[in-house]
Amino acid sequence: MSTTTSTDARTTSATPRTTPRRRRDAGKRRQVVGSLVVLAVLLLAWQFLPTALGTPSYVVPVFSDVLAALTDPAAFPVYLEATVATMTEVLLGLAIGVTLGLVLAITLAQLPTVYGIVFPYIVAIESIPKVAVAPLFVIWFGFGLSSKVVVVVLLAFFPVLVNTLHGLRGVDKDQVDLFRVNGASPMQMRLRLLVPAALPQIFSGLELAVANAMIGAIVAEFVGAQQGLGVLILQAQGRMETPAVFALLIILSALGITLNVLVRLLRRVVVTWEQH
Amino acid sequence: MSALVELDRLGKVYSTRTGDVTALSEVTLRIEDGEFVAVVGPSGCGKTTLLKILANLEQHTSGVGILGNNELGANRSDDVGMVFQKATLLPWLDILSNVLLPVTLKRRASAADKENAMDLLRMVGLGEFATKRPHELSGGMQQRAAICRALVHEPSLLLMDEPFGALDAMTRDVLNVEVNRIWRDTHKTAVLITHSIPEAVFLAQRVIVMSPRPGRIVDEITVPFGPERTLELMGTPEFGSLCAQIRRHFEVSAA
Ligand SMILES: Nc1ncnc2c1ncn2[C@@H]1O[C@H](COP(=O)(O)OP(=O)(O)O)[C@@H](O)[C@H]1O
Ligand SMILES: [Mg+2]
Repeated sequence: MSTTTSTDARTTSATPRTTPRRRRDAGKRRQVVGSLVVLAVLLLAWQFLPTALGTPSYVVPVFSDVLAALTDPAAFPVYLEATVATMTEVLLGLAIGVTLGLVLAITLAQLPTVYGIVFPYIVAIESIPKVAVAPLFVIWFGFGLSSKVVVVVLLAFFPVLVNTLHGLRGVDKDQVDLFRVNGASPMQMRLRLLVPAALPQIFSGLELAVANAMIGAIVAEFVGAQQGLGVLILQAQGRMETPAVFALLIILSALGITLNVLVRLLRRVVVTWEQH
Repeated sequence: MSALVELDRLGKVYSTRTGDVTALSEVTLRIEDGEFVAVVGPSGCGKTTLLKILANLEQHTSGVGILGNNELGANRSDDVGMVFQKATLLPWLDILSNVLLPVTLKRRASAADKENAMDLLRMVGLGEFATKRPHELSGGMQQRAAICRALVHEPSLLLMDEPFGALDAMTRDVLNVEVNRIWRDTHKTAVLITHSIPEAVFLAQRVIVMSPRPGRIVDEITVPFGPERTLELMGTPEFGSLCAQIRRHFEVSAA
């Protein structure tokens, strides 16, 4: 008996591990190098093509001009202040929107009747381009922080709600029966089964929420704001300072990518059982 | 001997949107304390329903059922251990925490609980896998862990719903021998649902044969072998003729 078990164990866990992983690592390295080469080619083209084609600098500035605008010491405090303003809107809106989305999803998942009633509305609102209500929120909440936060909340809330609901409702029936057989309370069912089981979908929702939050903050700033990266973009556009517009876009991209990477790192740390 | 389970003309009707489905009809069954009973029957005849009623996961709609000192469906008893067709381990917990789940849903696991869980894991050859995650184990090993989980809180009734249906024949034989040993060691009352007639005869002291829908008991066969079963038993003529006797029920109903 014991011999069968240990052979069984060795074949399943030990042997097939090393070789495919090493091969995967090598493949990954080649992909990273490839991506860097593509980046270098794009930057070179950006530096030399506009001049070669005679494109004026206010349409497409060459890369070195954009770099100069980005690293201009005089502009730095302005960029920093705007970044803090925009990220305050983004992070505050995310915190509120994600919390609301999670709480409502967990509540709805355990109330099938209510879920059936409100589900059509969720689908309807989900299909509206929600940034379109930003002007309305500026009327309601003014030009300060709150109108931007409200737009971000609205945009972050729905992907979290929809994905979490999807995850919670997809929980394996036998796992639910297992908890019921062992006398789990509704709270134990929620915290020790439903939420952990839905974590992969919750993180998918979070990734969408983060991308949406950046869009929401910038669009809301376009519509009406006193500070923020969106405001700076509009000002630079007004002065026809195209290099500054590009520099601000690079800052926005870097912020967006950083948030996305943070969420994905968190997912890796939390959802350790997921196969990558 | 005292009965642990007594079902008297138990019935179950599911009300669905498309009408009523009678899953069980007039099931009368007595299971002695410490007995190993197998239930065989065609798919859809209500075997899982019967098990869920015993586990208090479904309510019967007619008749009376008693488990231990409680009437079925009246107040819930957590006194059963359940093994599903899939291992149904939680992927975010290690094997030891999975096995301890029935305990930790009631209280904080003590050192004695952990030792008990480790003993069970060692008994099925998984002692070294306590800190592994489920996806690091083979299907057979996962199902072994699931059996440990069903026993960790020392329930008086062990329920198994086609526990080895998803495993290959060889792993299945090995696990059957193990289940027989566990049953002899623990003296647990066990109800096994299976669609494998040899598996039923190999493990059980009594095989209950159910008819197609609506499920009712059409035969009960007492298996005359002693408590200890070995794989050689499967090759004996007595074993073969007992399987043939049970199989005849299904040939008749299919014709
Ligand atoms: N929750 C349910 N709602 C309605 N009908 C059900 C439900 N569960 C099972 N049934 C029906 O009851 C019958 C018996 O099912 P089941 O107990 O799962 O059979 P078995 O396990 O023997 O295959 C089947 O016809 C099945 O469709
Ligand atoms: Mg079944």
